[in-house]
Amino acid sequence: MKYLSRIFWVAVGCTFLFPLYWMITMSLKSKSEAYSNPFGIPQSWRWDSFGEALSKYHYFTYLENSLIYTVGTIVITLTTGSMLAYCLSRMQWKFNTSMLFYVSMGLIVPIEVVVIPLFQLIKFLHLKNSYLGLILPYSGFAIASCVLMLYAFLRSLPKELEEAACIDGTNVYQAFFKIIFPIIMPALVTQCVLIFIRIWNEFPLAFIVASRDQFRPLTVGLLSFFVNVGVSDWGLIGATMFLSSLPMIIVYMVGNEKIENALTAGAILK
Amino acid sequence: MNKYFSTKTSIFVFASPALLLFTVFCVYPLLPEIWMSLQKHDGFRSMGFVGLDNYRDVIASPSFWTAHKNTYLIVGISLLLGIPLSMMLALFMEVQTPKLRRFFKSAAMFPAILSVTVVSQIWLAFYEPNWGLFNSILKSIGLESWTHSWLTEKKTVMPSIGLVFLWQYIGLNAMLFYTGIKTIPKSYYEAALIDGANFVQVCLRITIPLLQNVIKYVLILSTLGSMAFYSHVRVMTAGGPGDTSRTVVYQMYYTAFDTSEFGKGTAIAVIFIVECLLISFLIQRFIARDKLEF
Repeated sequence: MKYLSRIFWVAVGCTFLFPLYWMITMSLKSKSEAYSNPFGIPQSWRWDSFGEALSKYHYFTYLENSLIYTVGTIVITLTTGSMLAYCLSRMQWKFNTSMLFYVSMGLIVPIEVVVIPLFQLIKFLHLKNSYLGLILPYSGFAIASCVLMLYAFLRSLPKELEEAACIDGTNVYQAFFKIIFPIIMPALVTQCVLIFIRIWNEFPLAFIVASRDQFRPLTVGLLSFFVNVGVSDWGLIGATMFLSSLPMIIVYMVGNEKIENALTAGAILK
Repeated sequence: MNKYFSTKTSIFVFASPALLLFTVFCVYPLLPEIWMSLQKHDGFRSMGFVGLDNYRDVIASPSFWTAHKNTYLIVGISLLLGIPLSMMLALFMEVQTPKLRRFFKSAAMFPAILSVTVVSQIWLAFYEPNWGLFNSILKSIGLESWTHSWLTEKKTVMPSIGLVFLWQYIGLNAMLFYTGIKTIPKSYYEAALIDGANFVQVCLRITIPLLQNVIKYVLILSTLGSMAFYSHVRVMTAGGPGDTSRTVVYQMYYTAFDTSEFGKGTAIAVIFIVECLLISFLIQRFIARDKLEF
């Protein structure tokens, strides 16, 4: 009985990993084998799909764009978000409570429903087809959860922290970057992981705003590639899918524990 | 010392960048959204104020209601199937050996970190009518009559897309529940074991009631996440066949960007924002309870 349940759980686990297996094996099959044997292990291992993918699919452009969008959003959100959280939790400002409430409203509205006015705004600011055209809205939407999480974290720290700095005569900016920043690092790492996963995979806004090929991130670039190839060459499609997922798979393998903790942090914070 | 740090300048420097970003890109768009929904607008210029005409037209169109049916079907699938299933995964994960649990955790989270484009394209192959996974399995066990052209038949298209969504996030939700389960003190279980409670009783009487904060959190995440359901549809069927698989967000994109009816598109968006607010309010009102302290 114990043995049976163990087999059952391994099988359930494998259904989650099956697409990874399928992506890899598909990309190693020849065009004809992709149809005759779509889900088995490839009879002959052929690597030409990857060569073809790298020449036809603008992998490195999209990869670079995805990186720029993600890193840009992380840097802007974490800097501005942690500063606001610091202000709301530890400075004496009469609007602290009302501002916290104002920012928390950002959790309710999904980015998809304001895509139309956002698109108009980005055009109006002449940010369409530029990196900032996606980085700034992404940051605006990431700020709410970032501020709320860091606020909770900062509230739990003792008030005496900055006092020593105060006696030493350092100003508030030095105190923030030299004393507070290192202490809130664990919370910043969590936010960093969350934003990374969200922005790396973001689709709805990028689909509309990054219309020019040279600014497309991987998610949108991959879809336009599929549309161009059609459904004729699954070996090629498998290879591009695997290449596009590879950075995330590597990150997941290296930082498995951190990612798990970050993704589940919300469950215990509430 | 907090007084010494809290000068007008320092508050301004610390608060304004984030508040500015948040206001400009997250809050401000709601104003032109409402304003635009009252005009005939093609995306470039307004062609006059039309009052509530856009709303009337939008509500009168059958596609709008198909889209609503589909969106709430997805919400229903993720709440009524997704949450109980992921709760079951989490409860059973608790009683596994550490090694198996380690493997299971990593595997279950994996779909959630893949991009929507990749996941949808993979499932496109699974649903392929001639050589796809599902039809191949059905044929090989002699159930030829059960095979479908899953994504092009009106009856099967939405449940098929719903299954993809379910599969992608069920593991993540299970992990959220599992993280919550780990915070419940062991002494509760020991007491129950002494009283001779069995596994099912422990789950129903101790674990699930004590998990209500996490359940509420997952409920909000799943509801808002499935309300905004769009990307899978875009990649897998582009709303087809016809308008059968359009969700509300898809219908909004389609109206604005594909037919250049920005006024009507924003009208759909405004209606939908009200629905989102209403639903979050209902969840807060009826499900929120006092915070549990252990």
